[in-house]
Amino acid sequence: MKFKIKFADQIVGLFIIVALAFFVAIVVLIGANQRWFAKDYAFVTAFPSATGVAPGTSIMMKGFTVGKIDKLTLNANNSVDAEFHIYDTYYDKVRDYSILELTVSPIGLGSQLLFHPGRSEIQLAEGVFIPTADSIEGQALIEQELVDIPPKDDTITRLLANVNPLLENTNKTIVTINRTLTEVNRALAGQSSGPLGDIVKDASRAAAALPGTMENVDGIVTDVQDRVAGLLDQVASLLSELETIGGNLVATTDSIRDPTGLVPKLLDPSGSIKTFLDDDNALYKRVMSIVGEIDKSMKSLQGIISGLNSEMPKVAGLLNETRTAIQQAQDVLEGVKNNPLIRGGVTERVQQESLYRAMREGSFE
Amino acid sequence: MIGQIGRATRLKASALLYGLGFFYTVLRETVRFFRKSQVGYKVLIMQILFTGYEALAINAIMAIAIGAAINVIGSSLLPQFGQSQLMYTILIIVITRELGPLLTAFVITARSGTAIATQLGTMVVNHEIEAYMAVGLNPVSYLVVPRFIGVVVSMLVLTVYFNIFGLLGSFIVVQIVKPTPIMEYLAALMSTLTVSDVLSGLLKAFVFGVVVSVVATYQGFSVNRASTEIPVAGIKAVGLSFILIIVADVLITLVQYA
Repeated sequence: MKFKIKFADQIVGLFIIVALAFFVAIVVLIGANQRWFAKDYAFVTAFPSATGVAPGTSIMMKGFTVGKIDKLTLNANNSVDAEFHIYDTYYDKVRDYSILELTVSPIGLGSQLLFHPGRSEIQLAEGVFIPTADSIEGQALIEQELVDIPPKDDTITRLLANVNPLLENTNKTIVTINRTLTEVNRALAGQSSGPLGDIVKDASRAAAALPGTMENVDGIVTDVQDRVAGLLDQVASLLSELETIGGNLVATTDSIRDPTGLVPKLLDPSGSIKTFLDDDNALYKRVMSIVGEIDKSMKSLQGIISGLNSEMPKVAGLLNETRTAIQQAQDVLEGVKNNPLIRGGVTERVQQESLYRAMREGSFE
Repeated sequence: MIGQIGRATRLKASALLYGLGFFYTVLRETVRFFRKSQVGYKVLIMQILFTGYEALAINAIMAIAIGAAINVIGSSLLPQFGQSQLMYTILIIVITRELGPLLTAFVITARSGTAIATQLGTMVVNHEIEAYMAVGLNPVSYLVVPRFIGVVVSMLVLTVYFNIFGLLGSFIVVQIVKPTPIMEYLAALMSTLTVSDVLSGLLKAFVFGVVVSVVATYQGFSVNRASTEIPVAGIKAVGLSFILIIVADVLITLVQYA
């Protein structure tokens, strides 16, 4: 028989007993971790709202769970009464001036209920009221530095912690402004006896003395008028001088505008240019005839140049023949000159230098 | 057309009533099982052995693998959102409340549900049921009740093991990837785990065990004469069990969270 079949009872028994043992162990571990058998110390507090807090919410202190919320009740004053407990292991932290602080994450990551122990040696008895940080009592404890509040864990929490005092300050400022306005209103109504009321009364007295002051002001104004009259005379003489200068400028402008002036004379219809040009186009015709003559001459010159251009090869051949003829004549003359029969028969010519050349063009030898 | 619909509805209603009657009979005989002499005790032991003990290995492997995956994913993903502590909550919800009972039920359905349906179907085809009745043995009392109790007990026990392996066994695997002090892990786990989590998982396991065993035995007995009906009964047992398990899971979850 197979081992499993033979010892089926034992195997199944062990299988079930081990499971039961694990189950019991898990329940015991859960109970130990969730403090089923430990003593807790109950306290009460009050929140303005139950938002972010619920039964079972852990109360944290420096990252440790020191207690839990047990019960929340909306009371007759529309605030929320809360019952909570602190674990026996942290009961010694619950001293006088201790507070609770509810911080809510602005980005929806839940809320945290923090416990801040008081800076006192007196341990609080079970069941006493512990204020929250946003209550008047709690704020007073914080301002008097009677609470041990650690630095916040993260930037957002720090910002939140800073926002609350800022809001408080803003609220206080608004309250102060409101009070000031009320005081001003009362002072204006003559009901205030404080410094502002005195100021308003002084202002009232000053207003009553205003007619006498106005008479003095009239005298001053008359004196100023007299003094200003002399100044006005001086200004009038200056203005008359300026008027004279202006008249001179007008005369100058008029002289420029005179039709007998140089420019009008030149440009006048009866002026020299007009007279010069008004000759029944005689000048124009003359000029045009000159231009026509020049045109003819230019055409003739063009014809000559073109003729010369066509005759240039002939002229070149002629010059070449002439040079050849000159060389032959030179040879003939050389022969005649060297002939002993007729040597000396021909009178030597005197070479005459050209006179059109300047003296400086020659050499200085 | 209308006649066909009416006939089908009447047959379904009749089958449902028959099933409910069968379930009532099983419950009644189960109560009697613990009172009278333990005729089917050996059958019960063997059923727990086959259904529970022999499925322990595959159950443990599944639990360790799923737990390790949740541990690794959670420990690397959740710190990015500053929600590392949620890893334990997710682990408990997945292992203890949801996947533990569900996967165990699937394993038992696949292994034992088909086996029970096939075995009973074969007995019907071989006229063994008639033989039991001929000698004065109630087939429900002798054949169904031990299987019913065996499957339910196996489901409960395997669910406990699934929790153990899923929550603690996966920790050993995680040590290879990301070492964590065991006391820190256990303290965080046990402070997050509640008795209601464990009881919720066990409640589901109990209901799933009832579903699997009743459906499997019902389908086994639904075989008439032909041996070709036996595998059909097995297939129907698995399909119907899966559907009813999922429906029951949803209903229990709704009751718990609604």
